Amino acid sequence: MQGSARRMGVMTDVHRRFLQLLMTHGVLEERDVKRMQKHCYKVHDRNATVDKLEDFINNINSVLESLYIEIKRGVTEDDGRPIYALVNLATTSVSKMATDFAENELDLFRKALELIIDSESGFASSTNILNLVDQLKGKKMKKKEAEQVLQKFVQNKWLIEKEGEFTLHGRAILEMEQYIRETYPDAVKICNICHSLLIQGQSCETCGIRMHLPCVAKYFRLNAEPRCPHCNDYWPHEIPEVFDPEKEREPGISKSNRKSLRSRRH
Amino acid sequence: MLQTPESRGLPLPQAEGEKDGGHDGETPAPTASQERPTEEPGAGREEGAAEPALTRKGARALAAKALARRRAYRRLNRTVAELVQFLLVKDKKKSPITRSEMVKYVIGDLKALFPDIVARAAEHLRYVFGYELKLFDRKHHTYILINKLKPLEEEEEEDLGGDGPRLGLLMMILGLIYMKGNSAREAQVWEMLRRLGVHPSKNHFLFGYPKRLIMEDFVQQRYLSYRRVPHTNPLEYEFSWGPRSNLEISKMKVLGFVAKLHKKEPQHWPVQYREALADEADRARAKARAEASMRARVGARPGIHFW
Repeated sequence: MQGSARRMGVMTDVHRRFLQLLMTHGVLEERDVKRMQKHCYKVHDRNATVDKLEDFINNINSVLESLYIEIKRGVTEDDGRPIYALVNLATTSVSKMATDFAENELDLFRKALELIIDSESGFASSTNILNLVDQLKGKKMKKKEAEQVLQKFVQNKWLIEKEGEFTLHGRAILEMEQYIRETYPDAVKICNICHSLLIQGQSCETCGIRMHLPCVAKYFRLNAEPRCPHCNDYWPHEIPEVFDPEKEREPGISKSNRKSLRSRRH
Repeated sequence: MLQTPESRGLPLPQAEGEKDGGHDGETPAPTASQERPTEEPGAGREEGAAEPALTRKGARALAAKALARRRAYRRLNRTVAELVQFLLVKDKKKSPITRSEMVKYVIGDLKALFPDIVARAAEHLRYVFGYELKLFDRKHHTYILINKLKPLEEEEEEDLGGDGPRLGLLMMILGLIYMKGNSAREAQVWEMLRRLGVHPSKNHFLFGYPKRLIMEDFVQQRYLSYRRVPHTNPLEYEFSWGPRSNLEISKMKVLGFVAKLHKKEPQHWPVQYREALADEADRARAKARAEASMRARVGARPGIHFW
């Protein structure tokens, strides 16, 4: 057992409480994760020094590895806020959702997902989703019920709603990226900078490459004349600000980002 | 399909040097010594060492056997991992999980290994997450997860996420039931909730449809019991604490909650206070008994160590 003890971390009640709380929330922003970590220490090991978050999480992940799950860090697509979720490492389908939702509800999510992936803006309108209600597998669902189900998805942080339109929550992207890339290989968009799945972002009007808003922010930071990294044409969109954890007090789209979202939807 | 090295399912004595994926089926004509890393934990046998002069055919057969054993072992690990995830997700919904569900959705044709798989999953749940997998109903083979971490103090109560408001509502009902002598008529419960602005069939922004939440969710999750009151005309029903409430919360805690609501001390209600004290004593005794029997059992079974 010596060899494996070297490789695997050690779980204490501090780590267990952290895992339980993370699971309860589904997904958490980094700011809240740090606060939660401190809280776990306070409750279970008051006098210990708080591990650096990265080390703390790596420790837990080394134990979770044998269960094919991990705490994954991602970044919200709209304003680059770091988020954490417990995700499945195996590429099963919408696994975590499968036990939570009925067959027709899962199919509604799949339909919404397809509309979102196919869309130019990364958003699918409520109307378009609801029009597909007749095509759902399983028990027949009325539009009114489908509206409630969509709200359930929002409450459980699988979808985000903005002004009657739906896109994927950061949690869904973290959890399902692999599944999405394998299931819709022709339709998915990829960010030119980080090469991850892209749902919302900016695109070059000349050559069509796409970039996440936070990736745009980082790539063109302090650049007075932003140019497309692929075709060198002038980059026509407003460059958002790089996320600053110190400055951020209220979550949500900053004005500059909102504007660039608008400008892409021709 | 799995992205990570699968050999680290459960710790193997010499799993260190063995990487998965690339080596399957690639083993070059193995010598006796190379067979050792694939032993199962605790077995300690050395197959190759018993026959120093292996023929080529014998070596290939041994390699095939070792490969099959590794595969079966990996499959077992994966099933255990899936069961752990299944139980965690199911428990989040708070409905008891049946053995047949586990077999249907996770275990499948490894059904014969059910006790072993469940035991390993239980150990993971305990060590990694701090949950105890408890056989809740022996007759119907249903299980629940119980949180083994120490219960949080008032000040330590973290935001419970989406569950918060619902559990608050449950506490109100449990409190009413307790103060009314451990059962409350359905009419009394709805009357209390109406005073709080919660109506049975009106969609509430925090609780959804309260009638569904209470009658279906809470009752199904065994937080509440719902029974007919005998000899009533018209028919009346009453609520009492369900078995899960008895497991997860104590009378003293609920009395404390009610006392706080009324800005009084628990002792303000001497009858309920005495009953809560007796309940605390019972729990302490039961806990001591359980710990004693656990110690006896653990002492008798040396084999269950995964870490």
